[in-house]
Amino acid sequence: MDEIVIQAKDVVTRLGNALIHDGVSMRVQRGQVVALIGGSGSGKSVLLKEIIGLIRPRSGSIDLFGKDVWAASEAELMRLRRRFGVLFQDGALFSSLTVEQNVAAPLREHTELPLKDCLQLARLKISMVGLPPSACPKMPSELSGGMRKRAALARALALDPELLFLDEPTSGLDPISARAFDRLIRLLSDSLGLTVFLVTHDLDTLLAMVDSIIVLAGGKVLGQGTVEDLKKIDEPWLRDYFSARYVEEHA
Amino acid sequence: MADPGLQAAQEDGRTVLYATGSWVLANFGKFPSLAKLPAEAGVALDASGLDALDTSGAFKLMNNLREAGVEPASVEVRGLSDSLLPVWKLVAEHFPDVQKATERKPAGIIAQLGLGAINTFEHIVGFVDFAGRLAVESFRLAKGLRGFRGREFVAQMEAVFVYAIPISAMMIFLMGLVFAYLMGVQAQKFGANIYVVDGVAAAVLRELSPVIVAILVAGRTGAAITAQLGTMKVNEEIDALSVLGLSPYAVLVVPRILALFLALPLLVFLGDVAGLVGGLLVAKMQLGLEFSQYWERLDSVLQMTTFMVGVGKAPVFAVFIGLIACRMGMTVARDARSVGLNTTSTVVQSIVAVIVLDAAFAIAFVELDI
Repeated sequence: MDEIVIQAKDVVTRLGNALIHDGVSMRVQRGQVVALIGGSGSGKSVLLKEIIGLIRPRSGSIDLFGKDVWAASEAELMRLRRRFGVLFQDGALFSSLTVEQNVAAPLREHTELPLKDCLQLARLKISMVGLPPSACPKMPSELSGGMRKRAALARALALDPELLFLDEPTSGLDPISARAFDRLIRLLSDSLGLTVFLVTHDLDTLLAMVDSIIVLAGGKVLGQGTVEDLKKIDEPWLRDYFSARYVEEHA
Repeated sequence: MADPGLQAAQEDGRTVLYATGSWVLANFGKFPSLAKLPAEAGVALDASGLDALDTSGAFKLMNNLREAGVEPASVEVRGLSDSLLPVWKLVAEHFPDVQKATERKPAGIIAQLGLGAINTFEHIVGFVDFAGRLAVESFRLAKGLRGFRGREFVAQMEAVFVYAIPISAMMIFLMGLVFAYLMGVQAQKFGANIYVVDGVAAAVLRELSPVIVAILVAGRTGAAITAQLGTMKVNEEIDALSVLGLSPYAVLVVPRILALFLALPLLVFLGDVAGLVGGLLVAKMQLGLEFSQYWERLDSVLQMTTFMVGVGKAPVFAVFIGLIACRMGMTVARDARSVGLNTTSTVVQSIVAVIVLDAAFAIAFVELDI
């Protein structure tokens, strides 16, 4: 299965006067877990938003499942949106809905299912991400940060997507919760055959669960490959990035 | 995508179910249901004809089995392809949880009444507590004046007073106009045109200007204060202030309440002028009074107490609006919904407070013969 799920070609982005991307090209194959890394302000999150259709790039093209996101009609875009789920950085749960209503929301918007079925499927997803059944009727404000992330993941999985986008999935979690979250994502992606594209700062995440890494620096893609591949690239930022890890381990 | 199918057959004395087609979310409405099955002999599920399976489809399949009287966990599954087996296992593991999910029952009417009473009580206690803390902070500030935020105060004065001048003057001008017009219609019948001046002066200065301006400020500034402080609370900015050793009361609350305290009487005064000008226009155009006649009559009937009653009520209204708005802002929970709820609550509470206070003032003034 060498199908390309995400493909970006020569993406150029300007926000105000700042040049964010200066010809970014990358591709992600089906079934892979791919991480996007880069320093603060290197435009990781912006690239993610361009791929999911929230920010329009100045030029270049972005294909999802072989369809150009920024040339697609509204109806085509709607069909594309059913095929991917997004986990935002702070969860972005709707604060006026309970957890199960949050998870059921995509089902209610995109399918014709009766409310009862929506809620049952929502409860299945909530259980799948490791939340107890007692979490279902709670409001997002009653949950801890880790639980909120899990609830948001359940919402991202609600439509049984083929592709999952995660924006800094482990930020704000303690190391134990973060590793548990990594394992959960890996388990789900293996079981359900998901393609996962994540933006992260977390080296442990990279080492534990990622098949391939894309490095973004200076508005360009510096390289793509495994951790071992990237360690061979001689570039100051990357060297610092991985040596920080080295110092940490051997201090 | 082939439609999902489910056929039952008897083999070797037990039931075998043949699942075919695509059991995926897109086909959710087309899933076939299952007749009651005899569970004793055991049931097998043959999935070799399955094209696709996702968690929704697996869930529905298990749900159908359960509704047919068979526990999904007891079913022997065979022929499921390697890529689909993990999906089935994952859903099977979590299937029992779905039935366990608890509903939050809405409280009974008695319980709701009790909860409402407790909430109201806590609200009042919280309000008194807030006023007390503020008083302590204000005394501390008054002693040293060092922690006072002059810049913040000036910025608040600009927002609360300067930018509110056009709208409040406009509203009281129209109020004076309408009031003089309606009184004029009556007064003309008796040839008592000149008495319209008495009526307009008393109504505008004593009631219309203070109450209308206070309601306007409650909606305009009260809502702004709650929304701003509430968002700061959500962003943990208020915690950050405390950690810096700054009192959020001194930095945020005192300048706002002080700005309201000074701005509201000034706005009421400008409203008085605007309302009298409105009355003047009607007197001239509808009643044929000259400017000089209007002015002389005003000079002879308008008492200082009438003016003072109106302007004197304003600071009291201001303090209540400020207290309510700041307290509702500081008690926002950490989500967007709460900011909206508290902002609404501020506007409702402060308008009610203004009207109730005004009624109390009216009764007190009558008793005191003012």
